[in-house]
Amino acid sequence: MGTRVELHRFGGGAPEALAMAQRAIELVDDALTIHRPSSATAMNEALRHGRTAAIEDPILFDALIQIDDARDVTAGLFDPSVDARHASFGWRDIRLDRRAATIACAAPIALDFGGFGKGYALDRAATALRDAGVGCALLSAGESSIAVIGEHPLGGEWSFAIPDPRDAGRPLIEVALVDEALSVSATIGAGIAAPERGAMLRPGDATPIVAPRTAVVIDRSGALAEMLSTALIVADDAAARRLHDGARRMLFELEPDAPTRMFV
Amino acid sequence: MTEKTFDVTRRTFLDRVLMATAGSVMAGATPWAAIAAGAETAGAGKVRLGVIGTGDRGRALIQNIAKTRNCMVAALCDNYAPNLGKARQWVAAGTPEFSDHRAMLDARGLDAVVIATPLHRHAQHTFDAMDAGLHVWCEKAMARTIADCGRMVERARARGKVLQIGHQRMFHPTYLNALRRVKAGEIGSITQIRASWHRNNAWRRKVPADSDDRRINWRLYRESSAGLMTELATHQLQVGNWFLDGVPTRVIGSGSICFWKDGREVYDHVALIYEYAGGRKLIYTSLLNNARYGCEEQIQGSKGTIEPELGRIYQEVPARALALQRMQADVKRGHKRTIPIGGATWFPELPVTTPGESLGWGEYDETMLQFEGFGEAVRSGKPLPGLLQQAYYASVASLLGEQAMDRGEAMTWPTSLVTI
Repeated sequence: MGTRVELHRFGGGAPEALAMAQRAIELVDDALTIHRPSSATAMNEALRHGRTAAIEDPILFDALIQIDDARDVTAGLFDPSVDARHASFGWRDIRLDRRAATIACAAPIALDFGGFGKGYALDRAATALRDAGVGCALLSAGESSIAVIGEHPLGGEWSFAIPDPRDAGRPLIEVALVDEALSVSATIGAGIAAPERGAMLRPGDATPIVAPRTAVVIDRSGALAEMLSTALIVADDAAARRLHDGARRMLFELEPDAPTRMFV
Repeated sequence: MTEKTFDVTRRTFLDRVLMATAGSVMAGATPWAAIAAGAETAGAGKVRLGVIGTGDRGRALIQNIAKTRNCMVAALCDNYAPNLGKARQWVAAGTPEFSDHRAMLDARGLDAVVIATPLHRHAQHTFDAMDAGLHVWCEKAMARTIADCGRMVERARARGKVLQIGHQRMFHPTYLNALRRVKAGEIGSITQIRASWHRNNAWRRKVPADSDDRRINWRLYRESSAGLMTELATHQLQVGNWFLDGVPTRVIGSGSICFWKDGREVYDHVALIYEYAGGRKLIYTSLLNNARYGCEEQIQGSKGTIEPELGRIYQEVPARALALQRMQADVKRGHKRTIPIGGATWFPELPVTTPGESLGWGEYDETMLQFEGFGEAVRSGKPLPGLLQQAYYASVASLLGEQAMDRGEAMTWPTSLVTI
């Protein structure tokens, strides 16, 4: 997953709860990684050569279903297909046969689960913790993907401050979570001194997103939060208006030396 | 620059050297520097130097000798007449000139010679000068082979003569100050030095009609040079040994003629790892087709980094208290507050970009100072302590690196070296 994952449990639950959550994350990584041989790389190998891939890994299959299910919610703007420069095809050309557990595409294609994998892994880890009786926990993948179980250990909401990427010491916004997940995406990195780290392309027309933007999404599902925050970043104005809701799905325009503007 | 302003600059420079080397620890680590900085003006006449080799480097040395208070160039020697002609302007009118170094030695009237000839000639020129009863200052690297380096040391010992090798960084106030701060523990334990000398040029000189390529471009041919290793790396390997306070136990490396495929025989692209006791390493690279990172030694300790060529010292930035660990602590003491998370993307290992602090003392005349030190050594007949050992080990390290690259296998530090 290439990031630091932290699991913080506060009281309650089986002694092995954390180990089970850790294992859940490792299984997701094993299934979805494209940086070493995995179920995902085997699938990509078939898709690259125009073959139908049988999906035997239940985690990979479940991830594909979640992505497919989210197409309408994300207005088709979350697209895990690699190299969106080839805008003539993408996830919309994928044929996912849920009954036969196969995936195929009319054109050579490969999938990269990227940030989705972090949110999805936290979802499965949170489920493992809940199943083990944990009622209060905080899960983080690189601090850009957060999931919380229950209320804050001292009661009430979990409050998070999300930094302004132009000035890490200045909060962009504070958000409150209970039994929810949070995803933060941006076109600029950890500070304005690390530009273009988050270079992103808009699916469909392969437009590079050069505007400095940060998207913050809260959802019950970490995986969906990841897909929505990516969709917001790459959305054009019309799509962004449809996707954001001001409180749970936020998009910020962050021009240097200009006031922060929340997209409306 | 007027004589007066030069004297002021010189005094400032010497004060900086003395300040950097003050204290028992530094006196032990750099015993040569204070002696050189305390050189007396010539009372009983200046030390008379004959310069063998008046090419670009030889002429640079002649100009530095002219600045010293205790040395003078008393003879010039080069077997290529145009070099002699170019050197003439920097010495007193009537200074004897020779095309054969033996003739210069036979003519007498010298206290010592300065050797700035191609590398493969260093050893023979040193032997001849010492056999003629003269002290020797020789450009680095010492010799073309490790065996010849040892023979030069032995010959100096047998003849009771001073042998000093041109490693001017040991007289550089910024380097001395850097070492002082290392000895004071400011950057913690040094575990790695990354040194590089990167250029973007062919390193090939135009051959005049009256000469030939192997003579003018001797640095590009195996017979006369080990290329980047002896002409550049040896300086930085000396710095590595000096700051790591030891010699390598082993070296591995890879060399190639990677870019300038013009008939040269020496590598234009080298990468080596020198291992030192305790797992410490000096990682060295040199290449001739990219100058982005230039010449630098990055001396890295647990508390900071010193970069002498850049003249800066950097403190390590304390690790940021991870927000979620702080949240854990807050909960334990019953304190609930907003948790500042990392943001959109978490970059755990970005380079530290703090500006660091200047080591200062960037103006230097260290080449002049090493000659003043040499003048003192010649007068007293006693070498400046510590210098030859540093130079010998630096040359051995550079030539051992060449062997490691040529053979494609790790080379251990020789056990048969001459003891100094």
